This record gives sequence, C-alpha cells and structure tokens, in this order.
Amino acid sequence: MAKAEKKRGSGEILGVLALLFILVGLYVALIQAPPDAYQGEVQRIMYIHIPSIVAAYLCFFIVFLGSCLYLWKRETRDDILAKSAAEVGVLFTALTIIEGSIWGKPTWGVWWTWDARLTLTALLLMIFVGYIMLRSLIEDEERGAVCGAVVGIIGFLDIPLIHMSVYWWRTLHQPPSIFRPDKLPWENIKWPLLWPLIINIVAFVFLSLYLLSLRIRVGETEERIKGEMLGGTA
Amino acid sequence: MGSWGFVLLAYGIVWLALVLYFLSLKNRMRKAGTKLSQLRSAGSPGKHEK
Amino acid sequence: MAFLKQTAWLLWKDLLLELRRRESLLAMFFFGTLLLFIFHFALDVQPDKAADMAPGLLWLALVFCGTLGLMQLFQAERENRCLEALLLSPIDRAAIFLSKVLFNLTLMVLLEIVVFPLFWVLFNLTLWERLPWVFLYGLLGTVGFCVLGTLFSALTLSARGREILLPLLLLPLMIPVILATIRGMEIILRAGDFQESLPWLHLLIGFDVIFLTAGILVFEWVVES
Repeated sequence: MAKAEKKRGSGEILGVLALLFILVGLYVALIQAPPDAYQGEVQRIMYIHIPSIVAAYLCFFIVFLGSCLYLWKRETRDDILAKSAAEVGVLFTALTIIEGSIWGKPTWGVWWTWDARLTLTALLLMIFVGYIMLRSLIEDEERGAVCGAVVGIIGFLDIPLIHMSVYWWRTLHQPPSIFRPDKLPWENIKWPLLWPLIINIVAFVFLSLYLLSLRIRVGETEERIKGEMLGGTA
Repeated sequence: MGSWGFVLLAYGIVWLALVLYFLSLKNRMRKAGTKLSQLRSAGSPGKHEK
Repeated sequence: MAFLKQTAWLLWKDLLLELRRRESLLAMFFFGTLLLFIFHFALDVQPDKAADMAPGLLWLALVFCGTLGLMQLFQAERENRCLEALLLSPIDRAAIFLSKVLFNLTLMVLLEIVVFPLFWVLFNLTLWERLPWVFLYGLLGTVGFCVLGTLFSALTLSARGREILLPLLLLPLMIPVILATIRGMEIILRAGDFQESLPWLHLLIGFDVIFLTAGILVFEWVVES
C-alpha cells in the first residue's frame, strides 16, 4: 500500500511540474517569443508541433521498452506500461498531424501535402492504432499481451525503414522546393526562437509522462478488479 | 483567417484534446476505483466465511 | 542440418496439402487476374501510360492476392487443433515459421510467374527485356511480404475480426516494401537503368534480412501462448 502511495506521489509531482512548464511554455510561445522573420505568427504552432512529436516518439519508445521487458520477464506491469504508452502516444501523434495540417494551410496553401514527415507521422499513427485494435480484439489476456508486445517491437523496428523509404520517395522524385518539408536545421534556429521551443518540449515530456502515469494507474486498478472478480468466483 | 487565427485554432484543438483526455482518464480512474471498493466490500465477507 | 530437414518436411507437408486441395493458389490466381481487369476498367489505362502505371498496379494486385493467401495460411493448423499437435512434436519453432514463409513464398512466386507476363500481354507492354529485373524486385518484395505476413498471420490467429485486423496491421508496416518495390520497378521500366534503382534494392534486402531475423526470434512467443 505504501508503495502505491509513493508511486501516486511521484505521479503528482510530474503533474505539478507539467503544469508549471506548460504555463511558462504557453507564455513564452504565445507572448514572449518574437514572430518568425519568414513565417510570421504561424511559426508559433511549431512550439507545440515539435514538442508533440517528441512526446509521441517518447511514448512509442516506452511501448518498445515495455514490450521487450514483458517478453523477457512476463510481468503484467510491463504490459500495462506498453499498452498505456501506446494510447498516450496515439493521442500525441494525432495532435501532431492536426497541428502540422493547421500549420500547412497558411504556409503551403493546403491542409495536406504528401511531404515526408507528415506522411511518416500518419503511418506511425496507423501502426499504433493497429496495435490498440489488436489488443482490444484478442480476448485472452496473456496472448493479447504477447501479441501486442511483438507488434510493439516489430513496429518500432520498422520506423527507421519507413522513415528512410518515405524520405527517399519524396526527395528522389521531386526536387526540394522552397518550402522544404523538413523544419529549419538546428543551426539555423536563433536563440530567441530556440529556448521557448526547449521549454515547451520539456513541458510536453512532463505532460506525456504524467498522462502515462494516470493511464497506468487506471490499468492497474482494472487489473485489480479482474483479480478481485476471479477471487470472488473461485 | 489571419495567421493568429491559425495559431489559436491549433492551440485550441490541442489543449482541448489534452484536457478532454485528462478528464476521461480521471473519470475512468474514479469508475474503476468505486467498482474495486464495491467488489472488495462485497467480496471480503465471503472470503472470511471460508 | 536437422533444422533444415524439419523445415523441408513441413514445407513438403504444406505443398502436398495445397496440391491436393488447390484452394489458395487457384483463388489467388483468379483474384489477381480479376484485379488486373478491374484496374483496367477503373483507370482506363492507355498503352502509352501503361509502363508508368505498371509497377503500382502489379504490386497492388500482388499485395491484395497475398493478403488473401495469408488468411488461409494457418487454416490447416487451425482446424482440428493441428497447431497444438505441431507444437507438441519435437520440432524447432523457427522451422515451423520458416516452412510457412517458404510455402507462402512458393505460392506467391508461382502467382507472379503467371501474373507478370499476363500483365505485359494485357496492357500491351513492349519492354519484355526488362521483365527479369522487374521480377527480381517482385521477388525481393515478396520475401519481405511473406516474412512479415506469416508472422502477423500467426499473431492474429486468435483475434476476433481477424480478416480485417490482419491487413490493417500489416499494410502500414509493409510501406517500405511497397514503396521500394514500386519505385524500383518504376525506375527500371522508365529508364532501364539498374544502377539508379540500387538504393531501393538495398532497402528491400535490408528489410528482408531484418524481419526474417526478427521473425525467427519472436515466432516462438507468438505461437506458444
């Protein structure tokens, strides 16, 4: 019981940290940071766009870790970790696509373009929506966990290959335009634009970890309910 | 729609979605918690009888 | 050595079953031909554009047929709980996986041997001398498809709604194979330059090697539970 309390406490700390950084991040992104020289105010979307994708990748890395740990040690705890991280990751991936689309409309003139990163993010979303569907369609708990872990690992291994193929497809077949799909290289970002970005990335990382900790607690409680029900009928 | 419009649209959607997800998690947590305590209070006397 | 022998025996068992029932291969073959006709009606492919569209149409037809084949892949093992019996026998799990991949590959290659030339005839393509290179891409792409497809076919065995879940899980993960095969074929058909298509070829080989290894490693967990 004390362990659960301690866990809950560290979750609360994450929540407070997330809230703090979010408030500062919102202030610096919307008010303090200067508008971009080329893109104007629209550039401010980047202060949530890049943090979202960082949070999404973090979640998918956690899915991979949880999957490996589960296959190795077979502890329900690791499976709950992977399952929860997939759910939070899907949320952040979907948000990344929406933000990219809203940023693209004034920048490129269209809501959607088949640029490498946008396409890659959409594929990432499909893979992990598939993961969640698989989990919900296999009734046997243990088998679902094993199959989910395998998909989590295969999906993660596939990401670099998908990245490579999609990127080549866009660059080998059409010359890069002025609106290069890739964001400004790091060395081109100026400090006044960079540090609000860093604050927002930290904020989103804390936020995603906090949401993850909440989701894990939901999963653990559901697991305990199952345990109680099994104990009750036995 | 001006460029601030796009910025506010993006921030609005993102934070709305995040808050909704947070609330849904809290809701699921609460529902699971009450169910667990119900089960425990209903199940524990049975266990003692054994 | 014993491992290869086991694989060969299992492969022989599957081929014999297929030879007697002729379920998968015939269905896949007719479905593939049907798709070529449907594509032609839908897109009204002109002879001068046929070479540009050929890779996409061909590979899509193959992916759809392959998915159809994947649904059937573990059917024999599912009936009468044969999979349990197979798992009880002293056979290496990796041999089961490899034999299924090879069986699936055999079906797909037989299909390709018929469908590729048929496509050339139906769409009046004249570049017959480039067919072998296109076939090479088809083969490497098919290996990738069979490896990942077999793994996921086994993975979704006990899932509800397996018929829809399998393509839904498989196709996004197959994007590197789909892109590499189609683009590689396209470069060869358009320019006839094999060198230029080499990056895609490397990507395909990389995909095949990575997932064949991963498949052999994880298949044990997929079937045991």
